[in-house]
Amino acid sequence: MLKEQATFTQSQKMMIFILSMSLYGLSNMFTELIPSVQLGPIELQIDCFAFIPLALCMLFHPFYAAIGAATGEIIFGELMLGQFGGIGEIEKFILFSVGMIVGGLLVRNPKSKAQVAVGAILGYGLFLVLSTIVDILKVVIGVEEFEAVPGLAESIFIVEGVEFLTDLLLTGTLFTVLPALYLVPRLYGKVEPLLGLKPRTATNFRVSDVITPKFLVMSALLSLLAFGIALLSEMDFNIGSWEPEFVDTYGIGVIWGVICVAVICVCITLWLMMKKGREDSHDLS
Amino acid sequence: MFTLEWVKKLEDRLSLEYIKQELLRTAFSTEKSFFTQLDPRILLAWYGYFAIVPWFIYEHVTLVGYLLFMVILTVIARVSPLILTVLAVGLAGEILLLGFIALLFGGDLSIVAPMFWLSIKLAVISLASVTVFSSINPEKFSDALLRLGAPAQFSFSVAYAYRILPTLLEEFQQIILSYRLRGLAPSKNGVLYFRKIYYYITMLIKSFYPLILNSAKRSRTTVEALEIKGFSYAAKDKRVLKMKTNYLQTSQMDWLFLLLTVCYVVIVHSLQLIL
Amino acid sequence: MTSLKPLIECQDLTFRYPGEEKFILKDLTCTINEGEFLAIIGGNGSGKSTLCKAFNGLIPHFYVGDYTGKVTLDGVCTTTTDVATLSQSIGYVYQDFQNQLLRPTALEDACFMPLNYGLDDYKERGLWALEVTGLLDVKNEFIWRLSGGQQHLLALAGAIAMRPKLLVIDEPIAQLDPHHAEQIYEVLKKLHTDYGMTIVVIEHHTDFIAEYCSHVMLLDKGQVLWKKETVAALNCVEELLERNIFPPQVTQIAHSLQLKQPYPVTLKQSIQTFKASPWKQQATVHHIPQHTKPMVQLNNIELAYNQRLENNKLVLQNISLELSTHEHIALVGNNGAGKSTLLKVIAGIVRPTSGELYIQEQLIARAMPEKLAQDMGFIFQNPEEMFIEDSVRKEISFYLKSRKVNDYETYVDELLETFELVDLQDQDARLLSGGQQRRVSLAIGAAMRPKILLLDEPTANLDIATKQHVLNMLLELKKYVQTIVIATHDMELVAEWSSRVVVLSNGCILADDTSERIFQNHGIMAAGHIKAPQVVQLTTALSLPYCSSVSQFIAGYLQQVERGVHVGMG
Repeated sequence: MLKEQATFTQSQKMMIFILSMSLYGLSNMFTELIPSVQLGPIELQIDCFAFIPLALCMLFHPFYAAIGAATGEIIFGELMLGQFGGIGEIEKFILFSVGMIVGGLLVRNPKSKAQVAVGAILGYGLFLVLSTIVDILKVVIGVEEFEAVPGLAESIFIVEGVEFLTDLLLTGTLFTVLPALYLVPRLYGKVEPLLGLKPRTATNFRVSDVITPKFLVMSALLSLLAFGIALLSEMDFNIGSWEPEFVDTYGIGVIWGVICVAVICVCITLWLMMKKGREDSHDLS
Repeated sequence: MFTLEWVKKLEDRLSLEYIKQELLRTAFSTEKSFFTQLDPRILLAWYGYFAIVPWFIYEHVTLVGYLLFMVILTVIARVSPLILTVLAVGLAGEILLLGFIALLFGGDLSIVAPMFWLSIKLAVISLASVTVFSSINPEKFSDALLRLGAPAQFSFSVAYAYRILPTLLEEFQQIILSYRLRGLAPSKNGVLYFRKIYYYITMLIKSFYPLILNSAKRSRTTVEALEIKGFSYAAKDKRVLKMKTNYLQTSQMDWLFLLLTVCYVVIVHSLQLIL
Repeated sequence: MTSLKPLIECQDLTFRYPGEEKFILKDLTCTINEGEFLAIIGGNGSGKSTLCKAFNGLIPHFYVGDYTGKVTLDGVCTTTTDVATLSQSIGYVYQDFQNQLLRPTALEDACFMPLNYGLDDYKERGLWALEVTGLLDVKNEFIWRLSGGQQHLLALAGAIAMRPKLLVIDEPIAQLDPHHAEQIYEVLKKLHTDYGMTIVVIEHHTDFIAEYCSHVMLLDKGQVLWKKETVAALNCVEELLERNIFPPQVTQIAHSLQLKQPYPVTLKQSIQTFKASPWKQQATVHHIPQHTKPMVQLNNIELAYNQRLENNKLVLQNISLELSTHEHIALVGNNGAGKSTLLKVIAGIVRPTSGELYIQEQLIARAMPEKLAQDMGFIFQNPEEMFIEDSVRKEISFYLKSRKVNDYETYVDELLETFELVDLQDQDARLLSGGQQRRVSLAIGAAMRPKILLLDEPTANLDIATKQHVLNMLLELKKYVQTIVIATHDMELVAEWSSRVVVLSNGCILADDTSERIFQNHGIMAAGHIKAPQVVQLTTALSLPYCSSVSQFIAGYLQQVERGVHVGMG
């Protein structure tokens, strides 16, 4: 006789992942399409349907529901529509997952409206806070001598602050808390058996099941990474600034020489590429 | 009036058939450009450089040089003008807004210059990603990631997304239709079309209740099928991974492209020393 | 006879799903030998699918529950071996086969399994599987662009690419028109005879069992009642009827007339049996449709669908129709002939590219679905797509409530009563069985009190007993509705229910007549890929007067006997 399931099997995790990925992915395609309204400096737009991953995080294993949703956004909302933003997406992936996981962990009894509301607003709010901090950090890193520019710091804080508030008020209430309140109690006890799972109760759901040592190590590594990037900028690390001794020792002539060689290389490469390209198209026809 | 236009447009767009066709067209279109023939792994490495390094460059000559390179490449990659316009407007708007607020807070226009150079930086990075990812085939991209050590689940998810998107859209369309065939739309539009917008948005949100339940049923069969089709078997086997991604092969063109980039970067950085 | 080699052996298999009280399988013992073409039959909840999932180890590896007993597949014990390993010698096609297609294109999906097992010739295997199933032409097509029939064949191709010893298919033809159903069974026959695969089908279309299967196994309450050769099995008419399994129509006739056993099980055999019958050809009475005021009028409707992104294909062309009150119209034609699309055009959901639609003599140009719903009810093929609320009662009252109809609760109560849903009213409709879901969808339609009701495949995916039930419900609907249009490929439904049949083929109207005349016109039937019900085919073959149902046939027969005509039994 096999034991009654208390933990999630590998395939159940995969089911949660796929469910969350496809649904949040689909909703993301819609939010990409819904136009935004500009009211003076304030932009009103539906950021995302965070209620979907939040509802799933509250009902199932938060970790897999959250990374499923974040993956869904990358695949449906970005890759398939040809809008993948590269590295920036990875940062959103991490922050969004963290927010959703926390939102899901806060709910022990999905039937309690209060817990669902608190979980939803704190989960989404955490995501917003984190991404606002990262956005500000980006400007701090990107602008040379950030502090030296008068008024810049204040304006950045205001712009980001306003964006944070509109997102929290519009998306946070209309598209996060209210829908989560509608969905979670309705789905509770109905959707779990479809995946062969038992509904979450205060007794069978322990935060320690989700926050495993592996999870902690992973988050520690990721925070270190984020911290490292921030540190780099503080260290006055500048790629273009290794030149003085070099120029002093060899003189400007050497640099001109380097440029000439490089230009010749570029020309030869271009010629080769054109030739190759023509051959290829010839082969095709 | 502006809002009226907007709602009209929204109503047109709410013709789900239109949205569905548009999405499918975008997702399944395969446009050919110079970059589609390159090995996605090479492109990823290339992108890795241009996504990170510009952050730490503050010399104006180098930044302009990088930007010039990216502009030429976007032209070659035939990036849709719409994406470029959105990008440009976004960056310009940000600068203007910051300048405006800085003035309000007693600062002066000196804020514009550093923000301008930040925007150039961002433009280089965004153009690099647009060039690469608008011409890369997502499935090839995911296979490249698989080859580079990403989990098999991600690569599967990308392919699965292509499989399931039409089904999901179809189902969503039917559910919305069910709401509309049995519901009652508000007869009046309300202030700023508020009632209509409210009607549609609640419908959109409510439709996720049936969608979640239906998808849950579906994902169960899907995962079972994955199991009986030996997916977990393959995930453990390095040889299968190689077989799956065997078609990824670097050609002469890839190396030429890298060489070209290296030479160009050398020129730009050297020029910066002189000028 | 060569010695039988057992492929599957179950010993005292007992299983219960987690959280349920009842054991779905109880001390089940059975053997499936190599080379068999076995049909597993049994009523709803008899454990057919559960048993098949125990063959490839999904139970107990995937469905954790209470499991005792032993199953061996080709000598390997399923509890100690993992599913992925077991699956190499057993192919499985689900009832919801669409969900087992996992890759974007046909060839990729067919190759997926051999690729996962690291076989170097995975491509050849995929191509072979596509060739056997006849899908080679569409190998590079995206799956969502394939028709339902092709998708089913592809699921089959994916399951056989490993060339397993055993192939299990759960209800292979539930959603197919007779033409495509035959196609699937021909493929299975080829796999069985040419490639030596052992085949197990869960099936309730007994006419197909009679035609193709070698053995039949009857399941009841989680146990095997018996396993017999097909003819012997289908001759146990009473035992089958007791469990709501309907033997082929010809067998039922022979049984009702208490003919000599063994009863015929195929049409061919029955023609032999009844051949000597001296029935006189009688003049048949044609129903001439009464043309009153047209309810719906279609003028030269044409529709180009943009679904195939690159080429615009005409889905409907030149459709002109008048549908009057008190007509029961069946739209028939093979999968992809345009039946569903035409229904959607009538409902105003899909706007035609050209042509006009009049409803109650009013031109419908561009109307919101909310408005159209006042006269028109549309019942989707898949009931789940109609479910938008969280209980049966709320589903049924949604329309009435949104329109604030006075005292709607009493009307809802009445409908719950009529459609036998009183006990289920607080459950979520999605969690009900197929037949119950169908009843809910019919009740939703009736609640809208439409003048015109359109139904898309109302009997698809139902077992025959539930189908009979739905048929009664449809008669019940006459109380509420004036004109009913059904798109279907269920010819027994057409024969018994419709007053008028419209045959579609490639988006054109091929014929528009009574079912009786259409079933006797071989040209139209061949062109529209229609196959008359067995009883109609029998009467035609024997040149007897037209009978649309088994009971009609028997009544006619007994009448003849009463008149003292000698009826010879061959």
